[in-house]
Amino acid sequence: MRLKKSAVAILATASLLALAACGGSSDSNSDKPVPTQGEGGGAGAGKNPDLKAPRAVPDDAAPGGTATVLTAVVPFTLDPTRAYYTDSTAIMNLVTRALTQYVYDPDTNDMVLAPDMATDLGRPNEDNTEWTFTLRDGLKYEDGTDVKAEDVAYAISRSFAIEELPDGPTYQLQFFQDGDTYKGPYKDKSPYKGVTVSGNDITIKMSQPFPEMDYYASFPVFTGIPAAKDTKEEYGNHPLATGPYMFEDYKPGSSLTLVKNPNWDPNTDPGRIQSVDKWVFKFGEDTAKIENTIVSDTGEGQTTLSYDNITPPTYKKITAEGGDRLVTGTSPCTYMWYLDMRKITDINVRKAIGYAYPYEDVWKATGEIVGLTRVPGTSILPPGTAGRVDYDVLGIKGQNTDPEKAKELLAAANADGYEIKFLYATDDPLSVAGKDQIVKGLEAGGFTATPIASTSEKIREARSDPDSPINVRSSGWCSDWPSGGSWFPAQWDGALADLEGMPNPSMFVEADADAKQKEILAMDANDVPAAWGEFDKFIEETYYPAVVTGYSGTAIIRGSKIGGMYNDSVRGMPTFADMYITQ
Amino acid sequence: MGRLRSDKVAIVCAAIVVIFILIAVFAPLLTRLFGVEVRAGDPSTDTDIFNFPVIGPPDHGFTWKAPLGLAPDTGDDNLAEWLYGARTSLMIASISTVFATLIGITIGLVAGFSRGWLDRVISFVIDVFLSLPFLLAALAVAPIIVLRFSDRPGLLKWATFFSLIFILIITGWMQLARLIRGEVLSLREREFIQAARVMGVPTRQILFKELLPNMVAPIVVSFSLTLPAIVTAEAGLSYLGIGVIGQPSWGQTVLKAVPYFDTYPLYLYAPVLGIFVLVVALNLLGDAIRDAFDPKTRR
Repeated sequence: MRLKKSAVAILATASLLALAACGGSSDSNSDKPVPTQGEGGGAGAGKNPDLKAPRAVPDDAAPGGTATVLTAVVPFTLDPTRAYYTDSTAIMNLVTRALTQYVYDPDTNDMVLAPDMATDLGRPNEDNTEWTFTLRDGLKYEDGTDVKAEDVAYAISRSFAIEELPDGPTYQLQFFQDGDTYKGPYKDKSPYKGVTVSGNDITIKMSQPFPEMDYYASFPVFTGIPAAKDTKEEYGNHPLATGPYMFEDYKPGSSLTLVKNPNWDPNTDPGRIQSVDKWVFKFGEDTAKIENTIVSDTGEGQTTLSYDNITPPTYKKITAEGGDRLVTGTSPCTYMWYLDMRKITDINVRKAIGYAYPYEDVWKATGEIVGLTRVPGTSILPPGTAGRVDYDVLGIKGQNTDPEKAKELLAAANADGYEIKFLYATDDPLSVAGKDQIVKGLEAGGFTATPIASTSEKIREARSDPDSPINVRSSGWCSDWPSGGSWFPAQWDGALADLEGMPNPSMFVEADADAKQKEILAMDANDVPAAWGEFDKFIEETYYPAVVTGYSGTAIIRGSKIGGMYNDSVRGMPTFADMYITQ
Repeated sequence: MGRLRSDKVAIVCAAIVVIFILIAVFAPLLTRLFGVEVRAGDPSTDTDIFNFPVIGPPDHGFTWKAPLGLAPDTGDDNLAEWLYGARTSLMIASISTVFATLIGITIGLVAGFSRGWLDRVISFVIDVFLSLPFLLAALAVAPIIVLRFSDRPGLLKWATFFSLIFILIITGWMQLARLIRGEVLSLREREFIQAARVMGVPTRQILFKELLPNMVAPIVVSFSLTLPAIVTAEAGLSYLGIGVIGQPSWGQTVLKAVPYFDTYPLYLYAPVLGIFVLVVALNLLGDAIRDAFDPKTRR
């Protein structure tokens, strides 16, 4: 899933949703940086097909009240079919229910995959090419009409209309039957053949094995949309609610007000509560104003929260008062310096960059809180990914810059003063500060650093242009589900190297790596995650095509009367579905 | 001059301006004197887990290692940035003001003295330039310059510097030109000019020998009031991220320091105070000069 907020500027393309099957602790009690990410973890551990409805409302909840959410970001769209950014999907989780959902599990302090509108997590056939979901009884839209299986089938067919409704997730095009030919219900008048309905059963046929459909079914795409009520581009202004809250007022770009949906039945929903009367979201607010409102904790500020990561001065203030109102956790995305394999051909030079990169200096200079909003790491796959192998090619733990070693390697490669060209945005003071540190670090490591100036507006375009005069690209990736399957075929496939928009930012074209990927895709589903973990290690050890510059983390704050706010490690967002006003 | 000297406010303001000019001129010397320098700091050693500096304010006492403290996040030295910020500010302000004044005088003289079509053409041009939105022009030019010189950091620094000066000049000369034109219109019918023309004095000589000396007052006043306006404009543009690139600037520091207004006030106050004191001093000095040149205004 795409990231919300400023990270959008850092992460290049349609980065995918982060899912941490097994996260770390988010206790924030000491004045030391809190390690936000635990090690490893199995994806299977993150599923609970038997979770029972209704979800209990905590004892300290005071029913009613208004929860206010302030954010500097503006959600891109709230159309369930198009929602792909983490903020949109997290907000829509209150409004439009999908077939499955992620539910916060207090025992593991992590999200688990649980049924939502479906009675279970779906039933695949033997080779994962056909999935059947059964809808619960008693599901209703906000207007009191029943949610029918046909509506879900229609919503799925709607997701193929990527021309009319762009920017949503696109796995259906790749994996679902006729995904490459069907163009959605607006262009193709004949119904979509890949989904069949019988009673409450919805059966989805695949064109190739898709073992991770249960995760994918949690996207708002898989909600119910009655064909008669579909207003195409307008639908995002008031999607029909199936969840505990419905749209009262939506002003795109500035605010959204949600009120209780009287037709939502808690006995059909194992993952959500309906405690507050009203949610008020205010978008595009000033960061300093947001943080001050919440930190001062007076009046309305007590029932206010934000899903923007806090800035260092606010971290200091909130820690000084005990840090109880700080919620931290994982949002596993990996930031990388993709080294252009066409230009930097010597692996010693590439490794020297890894030694010279001033990790901690850059993080701090760009306003990240080390260990909290940015976590050191060396594997491409972030913690929480199934089968992840924790390795350390350079032996510097992803943060101990070693300029001497860099110089040695450069001398060995006979490339003293090798020129590194990278982009920065002149109108963003954080980008400029990061650039200054990189220049300093690279020069200390024996490189010549040439920062290439760009502007915030143009930098993404310049980065995804294969002919840009740069030889490293700063970007990142987040996963849609906890397996290398949503990482390597999307970025490290030689076939992607010459495509528009540089989906393969390192221009990584190695025959043996491509062959290995093909092998893994054909493996038994249970062996796949571990094989991706090994593959991760293999490419970094053999080729070192990217410098891992840390994983993302979440650090968000709330007013003292907001209860049930945990980190949704899937999205790096608050657990809206569990939240209430305390007594 | 005597009137100016007897004005205490003017003397104090002049002294302040002189001090700022000395700071700007001797910025490299002063930084060396304090043992600080403009450079990328060492965040990993100089800042704590909250990205706040480990020496000096706001958490620790005064230290000569960093008299104005270090910047949070980056660990850059605030005093060095401030001194060089004064330099950038005054350099841009003085160069732009001098050129804008020269252009304004020349065009105003020509327009006022030439009757007929040339006057109309020049007046039209002045009107066109007056309708140029200064901020929009700056916003449009900045990214063009950045992308044009993107791969030459050394050139980029000066390109943005001079493009900023250029924009300040082409949007800054019109007021004076109009003022001068009006003055010339009223002066050229006076007897001494008529006499000069009858005697066959060349036009250029009439313009510069006869007319110009009579307009020293408005020119000096305009100059002294444009200067602070440009100091503010430069800081404003830097705050918007479209000012100079690769050199310290008060506006940039203010932009970075705003989120720290309550946790690290000194970080914000230093550049704000710099801009404030300099602009107020220049403005008051300008007022005093106007009063001194114009006997009719009495306070």
